[in-house]
Amino acid sequence: MTCKETQTFMDGYLDRELDLVRSIELERHLHDCPVCAELHRSRMAVRSAMGAGALRYEAPAALRQAVRTKLMESVRSERKPPFRVNWAAFGAFAAAAAVVVVLFLRPDLNRVQREVVDSHVRSLMAGHLMDVPSTDQHTVKPWFAGKLDFSPPVQDFSPQGFPLVGGRIDYFGGHPAAAVVYQRHQHVINVFAWRSTESSRLKRSGRDHGYNFVDMVRDGTEYWVVSDLNADELDQFVRLVLGA
Amino acid sequence: MPHFDAAYNLARWLTRSPGDADDVVQEAYLRAFTFFDGFRGGDAKAWLFSIIRNTCYSWLRKNRVQDLMTEFDETMHGDTAPSPEALQLRRADAETVRDALAKLPAEFREVLVLREMEDLSYKEIADVTGIAIGTVMSRLSRARKRLHDHLVVPEESRT
Repeated sequence: MTCKETQTFMDGYLDRELDLVRSIELERHLHDCPVCAELHRSRMAVRSAMGAGALRYEAPAALRQAVRTKLMESVRSERKPPFRVNWAAFGAFAAAAAVVVVLFLRPDLNRVQREVVDSHVRSLMAGHLMDVPSTDQHTVKPWFAGKLDFSPPVQDFSPQGFPLVGGRIDYFGGHPAAAVVYQRHQHVINVFAWRSTESSRLKRSGRDHGYNFVDMVRDGTEYWVVSDLNADELDQFVRLVLGA
Repeated sequence: MPHFDAAYNLARWLTRSPGDADDVVQEAYLRAFTFFDGFRGGDAKAWLFSIIRNTCYSWLRKNRVQDLMTEFDETMHGDTAPSPEALQLRRADAETVRDALAKLPAEFREVLVLREMEDLSYKEIADVTGIAIGTVMSRLSRARKRLHDHLVVPEESRT
């Protein structure tokens, strides 16, 4: 390797971004060339000066709180308009009112799916993952009991690699829903549950905006499980939690 | 909120002012929330960084145009560095390094912050900044060279 190449690749080498062959050639050159060896030393010195300097700024707590509040406000205002009316198409739709009624009576799965995935993303972004952060099912379960008229599945699956991390209350279409939070390595899994108008619906799985989900209705309770975890492991988790 | 400290750190270094960093972070998180439909999975941290960065740059364009001007000083990109200075660098205290880094142009500061403080790979830095991976490497090289020069000059002028 020439001096010119060594200078070009020096930073890639220091940042461990250089391939093995070039790294070895570069090291060999450093061994033979005092000029490049000096460049290497001075780069190392800059890096260690930066490392030792504790240069990172920590976010002020007041800012964190202010942003959280603003995000919550905008989440709430986003939720207010339930649907948009397309006035241009209104006349045409008026004639087909009966169809509309039928559509309204059927649960709109796509809309629910969007709401659920949005809620999952928001829970990650707004730092509002948990109202009750606890790995203890005996803490989380009673916490829900005071707030909902049904009992969501709360059980710690740490031994199986899906530890319980907490729970919170969400709202979908105006009614409260439980969100039980589990974790698989660094992946967050939200289990949403609420009282359904259907008594049962078969298990279904899919993908939306990069998130995998599984949904079903059982014994009058609707379940949506959402995570960025891969589909196989998510399915394994669903079998564990919902037994289906 | 995920990556909040990292986001703040980047904004703080790019704007070089606590008050402005507050404004940028607040605006960027609201934008991230509003546009999360634009997020197609993948690395949420890199995505968030790119929003912080874009917000910072719109802010800098509005308020501090001179910060964006890049000095292409190829004489600074020389071949060698004298040896005793490397040793003095090791003793540079946090305040000195902080000042020296703050003096660098924004494009140098951002690659150093992302690489040295946030530990992003070249690929991730390329994703955040929208520059090619090869450019990430050469920019880091020039940034470190420049930082090195800022750090050794005061020591030299003392002797």
